[in-house]
Amino acid sequence: METVLQIAALALMVIGTLFSFIGVIGFIRMPDAYTRLHATGKVSVFGIVFLLLAAILLTPLSLWKGLVLILFVLLGSPSVAHSIASAAYRIGLPMSNPARDDLKGKMEQGDGKD
Amino acid sequence: MSRMIQISLPLFIVYLALTGNLEPANLVVGALVAVGISLLRPQMDLQSVALKRLPRFLWAAIRYIFVVAGDVIRGGISTARIVLDPALPLNPGIIAIPSGSISELGTALSAHSISLSPGEMVVAIDDRGVMYTHCLNVDESEKFVAEAQSLRQNLLSRMFE
Repeated sequence: METVLQIAALALMVIGTLFSFIGVIGFIRMPDAYTRLHATGKVSVFGIVFLLLAAILLTPLSLWKGLVLILFVLLGSPSVAHSIASAAYRIGLPMSNPARDDLKGKMEQGDGKD
Repeated sequence: MSRMIQISLPLFIVYLALTGNLEPANLVVGALVAVGISLLRPQMDLQSVALKRLPRFLWAAIRYIFVVAGDVIRGGISTARIVLDPALPLNPGIIAIPSGSISELGTALSAHSISLSPGEMVVAIDDRGVMYTHCLNVDESEKFVAEAQSLRQNLLSRMFE
């Protein structure tokens, strides 16, 4: 039983690390602030959830504490991504090659030099 | 009174989950902390759920959690796939999505779950509840977004209206 748990935790840890790593690659490869937030806000969060699941199996972290932490991560990360994106748009950071922009002219914008 | 219970009961459950200790002394401390914090709260306009509608609310809430969980998994994998694609297939843009919800809470929850779903992230919300959403692939998102939003909106309205 112990071994099975350890193998499962190991698999979760590898998946979690892999997704965190892909999140960092995304942060480097993506062209502008908005697309980078997709990489950090989704892929990295996916990685963190898997790492927390591994921690529940392998460390003295209790199941409920782990689940509450996962809930907080899932509640917090979209809010953070939204507020960074909103701030970026507000100060006028440009998008690279936007296909369309329905928000244009509907929000007070700076010139991107702040 | 019911407002106080509405805030302090979830706080109490979170406290117990975080301490992981069901001894009577800890239960008393948890209850005191929860009630104390609920007394300190600012005046919030929470939507209350009538007791007879509770089963319906819970059923819709559970289905909603599964829909969001599916979005998280698909969102993580599909964004990871875009990141790892050598060609980096991006067609970014901001599209307007009407939330279809009247209440602020409904709009906020819609915006939260859109930000978790694949390739979409809410940048701004206007007074009428229109969510301006940044998409990694505009054409693809526009095709699926109306359907996904009506599913979410359906579950949310079962929960709160």
